[in-house]
Amino acid sequence: MTKQANFWQYNKVVLVFALIALTMPFWFPLMGGYSGLDTKIMIFCIFVVGFDILLGFTGYLSFGHAAFFGIAAYTTGIMLKSFSDNILPAMFVAVLLATLVSVMVGLLTLKRTGIYFSILTLAFAEMFHSMAMAMLQTWTGGENGLTGMPTPMLFDIKMQGASVFYFVTIVAIILFYVAKRIERSPVGLLMKAIKSNQTRLEYTGINARKYKLLAFVISAFYAAVAGALMVVYEPFVGHEFLGWHQSGEVVIMSVIGGVGTLIGPMLGAGFMLYFENVLSVDLGEQWLLVLGAIFMAVVIFMPGGFMEGIARLKKRYFTTVDGE
Amino acid sequence: MDMTLNAFTLSILTGLQLGSIYVLIALGLTLIFGTLGVVNFAHGALYLIAIYLAVSINNAFGFTYALIIVPPLLFVIGVLLERGLIQRFYDRPHTDQILVTFGLAIVIQELLKWVFGANNIPFAIPGWGNGILFLHEYLPFLEGFVVYPKWRMILVAVSIVTVAAVFALLHLTRFGLVIRAGMRDAEMLQFLGVNINRRFMVVFGLGAMIAGIAGVFGGPVTQVSPEVGMGLLVPSFLVVVIGGMGSLGGAVLAGVLIGMAQSFTAPYINANTIIIYLITVVVLLVRPRGLLGSKGVFE
Repeated sequence: MTKQANFWQYNKVVLVFALIALTMPFWFPLMGGYSGLDTKIMIFCIFVVGFDILLGFTGYLSFGHAAFFGIAAYTTGIMLKSFSDNILPAMFVAVLLATLVSVMVGLLTLKRTGIYFSILTLAFAEMFHSMAMAMLQTWTGGENGLTGMPTPMLFDIKMQGASVFYFVTIVAIILFYVAKRIERSPVGLLMKAIKSNQTRLEYTGINARKYKLLAFVISAFYAAVAGALMVVYEPFVGHEFLGWHQSGEVVIMSVIGGVGTLIGPMLGAGFMLYFENVLSVDLGEQWLLVLGAIFMAVVIFMPGGFMEGIARLKKRYFTTVDGE
Repeated sequence: MDMTLNAFTLSILTGLQLGSIYVLIALGLTLIFGTLGVVNFAHGALYLIAIYLAVSINNAFGFTYALIIVPPLLFVIGVLLERGLIQRFYDRPHTDQILVTFGLAIVIQELLKWVFGANNIPFAIPGWGNGILFLHEYLPFLEGFVVYPKWRMILVAVSIVTVAAVFALLHLTRFGLVIRAGMRDAEMLQFLGVNINRRFMVVFGLGAMIAGIAGVFGGPVTQVSPEVGMGLLVPSFLVVVIGGMGSLGGAVLAGVLIGMAQSFTAPYINANTIIIYLITVVVLLVRPRGLLGSKGVFE
């Protein structure tokens, strides 16, 4: 019985997330979201949850995760075009390739910390970007992007509209559950120890590099899944997928939502995409300006993001005297 | 290599010209990093402010006014930014500094896009800088008829003068002595009773001013559109990293190196931007502190 109680307690967040996510097609249009945007939000939830395993747990700020997102997207696109319109082999190859690349990039970039790491990851992503724009143009379509994919199929289900949404959402729920499991596992704790004091961790005889690399590769895996799903959702790959804008967007989502909380970055992703696609109707071209200002305000006044804001409100209104 | 002497000379000049813009941006970055310890992702945006101001003043009143007004104005903007925003972040982690300046870069870029539009604004080169140089008249070893845009040579000259001025300021004046001491050990300097905050403010202003000079002369070359700032920031960052964080000599060396590498690979690889990233990776693996970086500084 206690085991069941534990299960409920541990997975409350995941179940609540699953409930909110799966019912999205019913309530999201009420707040002005068009169908399709919900799918995109789910895809970016996957991206940012993985990113939080790196940034939130280990504290390493990558400015180059667009690389894995983009590599997976291009590979999926090419596989769909030339191998089979079934998404499973395409996604498998894409995620595998991007994850392998991330092992290589991680080995090189994780030799450095702090700003050096941020700049190095940015450099690697920009390198892949310029490769896609020039050397590999024949495969990637360069400036015009990769087009001409057939309608993606899951065996004999057409991946369009609701079927894409539910497919993506189920993947998101599973991956969120996995991230939660990692968070409370010993490995997750070690990753968090890297953030709080790497030197001390190393003095206890633990090889911190191993766990940094693990966190990096896991986050790249999530980014790759998101990139592959992006092509399933919309059979097009633009070179922007690899650009620093893409990496920056994920950083903004994570920070606005609240780094290190897993749920916060997803809130951030939802907020940012909702802002970009729905609220921007009123703001016009200036939406990014307003978003940039919000982002700065969060960094300056509320470094914990939305999650810190929620915690502050909770503390103010829901704490009783003896509960302090 | 079937490269003629003429092509070789032109590649050297193009390399110098590419490098000189990188050096100017990287100089401000590395100066600010070396003294304040702040990683300024908004430095490209400062360049952006400079080119938009320069192009507006240039097209309305003439180049001389742009040259007189823009760099001092950038100095003021830099000081205001440091007082209003950056100084709050001295004690916060580097990640927060990157994030807030990244946010600032977006805000500045979007503001300028809003005001000036997303398209390129033509930057008219003043009469005395227009036209081409007949290189074969100066360099007798060149064969036949070799020309190069005059303005690009002026840009190179301006960079050399600016770099020399910064070096002179740091190595020949008392102010420079204090700044260099601050780069070594800011805490000790404070114990000695030096008001370091005021100097930090000036250094940030100075970094912005160099971006201002770069903007006035570089605008016609890099063009004037909102994407330019970030596009220039990434290679300039790499220049700082390759040269060694906080090392001015390193920034100059790396800037020229990157410029040359780009200009010499241009005919061979169809993506000469990749060479920058390759050099960065190799340098950081072989010599993590950068070419001229001092030991222990952010290694």
